[in-house]
Amino acid sequence: MVSAMRARAGRSAISLLAILLAGPLLVVLTSPLHTAAPEWSHVLTNLLPVQTGETLLLLAIALVTALLIAVPTAWVVTMFEFPGRRVFGWALVLPLALPTYIAAYTWAALLGPTGSISIWCAEHIGLKPNVLNLGGLGIVLGLVLYPYIYLPARAMFARGMSVQIEAARTLGASGFSLFMRVAVPLARPAITAGALLLSMEVLNDYGAVKYYGVRTLTTGMFRSWGGLRDLGSGLRIGIVLLVLVAVLLWIEHRSRRHASTATDQLPTKRSLPSAGSRWIIFAGCASVLLVAAGLPLWKIIGDAIVVWNMNDHGALVNALGHTAMLASCAAIITLLIATLFTFRERHGRRSDMAIRAANLGYAIPGAVIALGTMVLAGPLDRSNWTGPVLIGSIGLLLYAYCVRFLAVGTQPLFGALRSQPRTLDEAALMLGASNWRIFRRINLPLLRPAVLAAAMLVAVDVIKELPLTLILRPFNFETLSTSTYRFAGIEQLREASVPALLIVLCAMLPLFFLERLLGRTER
Amino acid sequence: MNRSLFLMPALALACGDPAPSPTPEPAVPVGPREVNVYTHRHYDTDKVLFDAFSAKTGITVNVIMADDDEVLERMAQEGANSPCDVLITADAGRLGLAKSRGLLQASTSKLLQANVPSSLRDPEGYWYGLTMRARVIAYNKEKVEPGSISTYADLTKPQWKGKVLVRSSENVYNQSLLAAMIAHDGPEAAKAWAQGIVKNMARAPQGGDTDQLLALGEGIGTVAIANSYYIGKLMASDEPEKQKAKAVIGVIFPSIGVHGTHVNISGGGVAKHAKHVEEAIALLEFLSSDEAQTGFAEGNKEYPVKPGIAVAKELEAFGTFQRDSLNLEALGRLNADAVKLFDEAGWR
Repeated sequence: MVSAMRARAGRSAISLLAILLAGPLLVVLTSPLHTAAPEWSHVLTNLLPVQTGETLLLLAIALVTALLIAVPTAWVVTMFEFPGRRVFGWALVLPLALPTYIAAYTWAALLGPTGSISIWCAEHIGLKPNVLNLGGLGIVLGLVLYPYIYLPARAMFARGMSVQIEAARTLGASGFSLFMRVAVPLARPAITAGALLLSMEVLNDYGAVKYYGVRTLTTGMFRSWGGLRDLGSGLRIGIVLLVLVAVLLWIEHRSRRHASTATDQLPTKRSLPSAGSRWIIFAGCASVLLVAAGLPLWKIIGDAIVVWNMNDHGALVNALGHTAMLASCAAIITLLIATLFTFRERHGRRSDMAIRAANLGYAIPGAVIALGTMVLAGPLDRSNWTGPVLIGSIGLLLYAYCVRFLAVGTQPLFGALRSQPRTLDEAALMLGASNWRIFRRINLPLLRPAVLAAAMLVAVDVIKELPLTLILRPFNFETLSTSTYRFAGIEQLREASVPALLIVLCAMLPLFFLERLLGRTER
Repeated sequence: MNRSLFLMPALALACGDPAPSPTPEPAVPVGPREVNVYTHRHYDTDKVLFDAFSAKTGITVNVIMADDDEVLERMAQEGANSPCDVLITADAGRLGLAKSRGLLQASTSKLLQANVPSSLRDPEGYWYGLTMRARVIAYNKEKVEPGSISTYADLTKPQWKGKVLVRSSENVYNQSLLAAMIAHDGPEAAKAWAQGIVKNMARAPQGGDTDQLLALGEGIGTVAIANSYYIGKLMASDEPEKQKAKAVIGVIFPSIGVHGTHVNISGGGVAKHAKHVEEAIALLEFLSSDEAQTGFAEGNKEYPVKPGIAVAKELEAFGTFQRDSLNLEALGRLNADAVKLFDEAGWR
């Protein structure tokens, strides 16, 4: 009786936490009730149709690009022995270290209408490539964000289907048909989960889409807010965005319905293809890596060497310290919360709507999360203190990071938990263990790699984050991304290269840990 | 593995000094004097000037740099407890918005009134222009007769079909240009202008102002609408990628009808709930002084607001211009109308 009450109290506490984290989103969702939208009819006729169209098109191009890169590369690095396989295994994650807006600016400087490579091509081949349009941006986003799909797909290929693959091989399947007819369908839930994160990243982007002249729902929000001076319409566009994400979530959920969950946890056996094939695979992986990470890094490093001495190195070290502090604190807090939510999802009778809602934050542009956060913190800050205690504090900034990146923490955990057979829980339950005890003693230890991996992903995201940091930070507080923005925001891309390079290097660190972690289970 | 993971935050805390939180001030300021600035401007010049102000007065300048609309929202949410003393934005429209939202207070300063011409400041003293940028037309000297353009409207003539380079209407500089046209000639004429430009565009709007200038160098169009300081910076640049454009660019100061060239300002005002009003006014006065005005002009290639201060040599070469004397307060008031006209004209 007492334990049942304690369990209920625990559940309520978790729900309360979820509501707290869903707060800024609730500000958006309830906006028609509290914020007037005088320009809504203009937005509805002139903006929304075009923006929805371009958003969906951009999303489709980015997804197709990412899938075409991520799934085959994940397959070959797990299934075949070829020169450099181990190096490619981790190096293919590297593009994730590039913040999207920096990648987009860099690509434009190389392959835009006045880009150095474009001009070279025009002079030497007579063809002038141009990425500065919707199609180009879709491909650029796909190139930067494909690791979101590559990581779960590779994990699934490596660990989740060895029995089925062996069976298919016995029945004569091999090569492409093994990949398309057996592996991809089995890995579909993992691929869809990754595609969901990628979609949310594409939807929340503002810097890159604005620069490329693409009109998405996110640019529409800012156009309404800043241009039309109508925050209400901006927030309503935010609701449209959230509905879109809800549809994507539903698709992801459905894709899991008939998925096999019984995983055998045996590593898939690698085969040794013919010498010719080995080098073809090598060339394929090498070109992906060269294009997705090599080219932009070459440009950034080249610029950084030129302007290195113009930078205030003391200030950069200071910014690096702030970035590292924020990233590690946010990762720890987010994962603590994500773990609690995972417990609730596993052992609650129904899934918690507040938890579902809190997970939507990843699709909302950072500046809008910041707005929602400030609206919530405002009343407290305006009350009788000597000054604002929340806005401008590191605590509120960390809270906003949690709201924004919760999905990055929970999605991998939910996924990993699903592959733990329920029979484990039931056996423990029969032996009289409480839900919490089962979670702590059985589920959690098995989740450990996923928790650490998710923490690393959150850290990478926080290192790259700009808009939340920009507006919620305390006085005289610079991070690497705010330092980059100082220059990139005023079209001085070359001067921005040094802090940008530091962001990439800094984000590589957690990615490196992530790879070691995954490598241990997959190798 | 485990240990190294948990070392990370500790390490980070060790190397990152704890940030000074916005310290609440008691009613009677004690100890070192300070002034808290919220600014949208992220130019190194400003940092240098703030440091010079501190050195001169002993007043510490604390800064948060972020985008205009977010900054206004932060001030509004902080309310009476806001630590902000001075708000600086890079758009007169946003200053007008801050005034109408009750985020600023009127300040009277003889020095500011003397240094800043009356059309570049709020009639009631809520904000003061500090530096000025003109929205001009850059042209390819090899392909365009400069005499063929004297107004913004000239760019809508059929001879410029496929030649006009301009960034998207998402940008506030385009919005305030159109707002100024609405103020002078009414919405019909302004819309016709926007439609005429859309018809003559060399390509779909993309990139920033600098990208339009670089496109001139590549022969993608022959005329580009851009802000003066981007041209000044390009002219001062040693980057190899920018040399081609640098060699061909000339500048025209077009007029809105007979009214003169459109300008916008960066400016500042004292926050409504400022706790350091005296220091705030001192900072604004310093920023309008000869020393700071020269700093803005040299460092950031902006036009000084104070009459008689020399412009940067890169801009001097382009000659002088007649500035539109429209009070900039109109830009904020008409900004939303301008955005709607852009949408109706199909200007991305």
